[in-house]
Amino acid sequence: MRLGFNFTLSDTYEMVQRLIAESRIDYVELLIDNFFCVPPSELANAFSCPVGFHIMFSRFFENDRETLRDFARRLRPYIDALNPMYVSDHCARFSHQGRRLFHIGEFDYSRDYDEARERAEFWQAELGTKLLIENYPSIMYGGVEQPEFFERLQREVGVGVLFDASNAVCAYGNIGVPLEKWDRIIASNRHFHVAGYSLSMIEPYVRMDTHGEALAPDTIEFLSSRKDLFDKEGATITYERDNEINYDDIVADLIRLRAIFPKQEATAREPALATA
Amino acid sequence: MSQLSQPLEQDGGLKDSALYDALTRPARIFDYPTDSRAFVRIDASIRIYWHHLFDICPQLLEMSPPDGGAIFRPFMAWADARGLTLDWNWYLWVYDWLLQSEFRDRLNEKVLLEIMGAAAARWAVLDRGRNCGVVIGCRDTANLVVGWKCHKIDEGRQIEMLEIEDLPPPPELFGCFFLPDFELSTFPGWQSLSK
Repeated sequence: MRLGFNFTLSDTYEMVQRLIAESRIDYVELLIDNFFCVPPSELANAFSCPVGFHIMFSRFFENDRETLRDFARRLRPYIDALNPMYVSDHCARFSHQGRRLFHIGEFDYSRDYDEARERAEFWQAELGTKLLIENYPSIMYGGVEQPEFFERLQREVGVGVLFDASNAVCAYGNIGVPLEKWDRIIASNRHFHVAGYSLSMIEPYVRMDTHGEALAPDTIEFLSSRKDLFDKEGATITYERDNEINYDDIVADLIRLRAIFPKQEATAREPALATA
Repeated sequence: MSQLSQPLEQDGGLKDSALYDALTRPARIFDYPTDSRAFVRIDASIRIYWHHLFDICPQLLEMSPPDGGAIFRPFMAWADARGLTLDWNWYLWVYDWLLQSEFRDRLNEKVLLEIMGAAAARWAVLDRGRNCGVVIGCRDTANLVVGWKCHKIDEGRQIEMLEIEDLPPPPELFGCFFLPDFELSTFPGWQSLSK
């Protein structure tokens, strides 16, 4: 299992370089659409390690096809130049009736499956590489449909899942989606996320995917209990931290992850299709 | 494994999609019992709008102590009635609303430039189009605010304040134009603020 860290904004550039230099991480996950104005060649030389791509705002369930084609045209030079281990995106609602949802909404998995299937198929074809889609940290009850939704999407479209372990723990804690329901998805995918979560400010307390805290004990327990499902040839797990960024705290969590998934030798960048 | 926070009767198995309408409308939170999961979910959503406004524009919070409610709630209701999209330019619409509110006499250029800077920064972070920069002008100041997207790996977005003497003021309260590269060398004319 390779450990990675998410690089979303330039503010953390020096810190990520230090994580690499001290061998705390094996790769960097780029929030790639934040860097569309950075030349691909500069981005390719930015880090001396493999990279993964995470897309934040393609909004591929909402944007029209021409907008998505243009987005993909701009992304492909980065795929060619950086040869990421994977390309991933979000399955969520970024707007509703034209209004921006700052806290993105959970997809309606059963009602909108046909649309999701069509759009995921289109988006994967435009990207020209296997598309991984991340699961959502459910708060409301529609989340119980998630595992079946993703299994069906994998089977019928051929996309993969960027499985976020702590999002699944949130969904379990919030609405009781059994963690076992994810086992087939974990077993059939190689690229994972994990982060800390916090509790809502008011009762009834729900788990919120905030990326600003240490890994929770139940997240650690979940990863440990399914170590053999997660850990496989070419597997990666990205530790996400976007708030309360403190080097020592991040390293402490990376050490916890390394204890579960002992270090393996990093290999050269691999084609996305080979590992996704 | 830790205990579940058990679903409450009041939630009735609601999906997130049933709450989309309420996620941008603070007043709608009271459609749900205060001890329901739906209430918490909407509260989490509304808090993010609040933080985006007052964390980025702290002078607005100073104008409406202790919690900004005198600005936030009426503005969001006004935004809803006007059909605003709450996109990057929503900060500028806040200023428009402030001019029509009890706070109009407390506005000054410092507050205005903070608001224009917030809008430029939001554009630079969120926009996924091909433009590299946005220029925002306002009738109430000779200063322009420019937002540039991140174009170097170790430098984030950049916000600049400029004064260009031979540029006409926008014909409306605010105007903007977009820059196709990282140079401010042409003036294509002011665009109206979109909703």
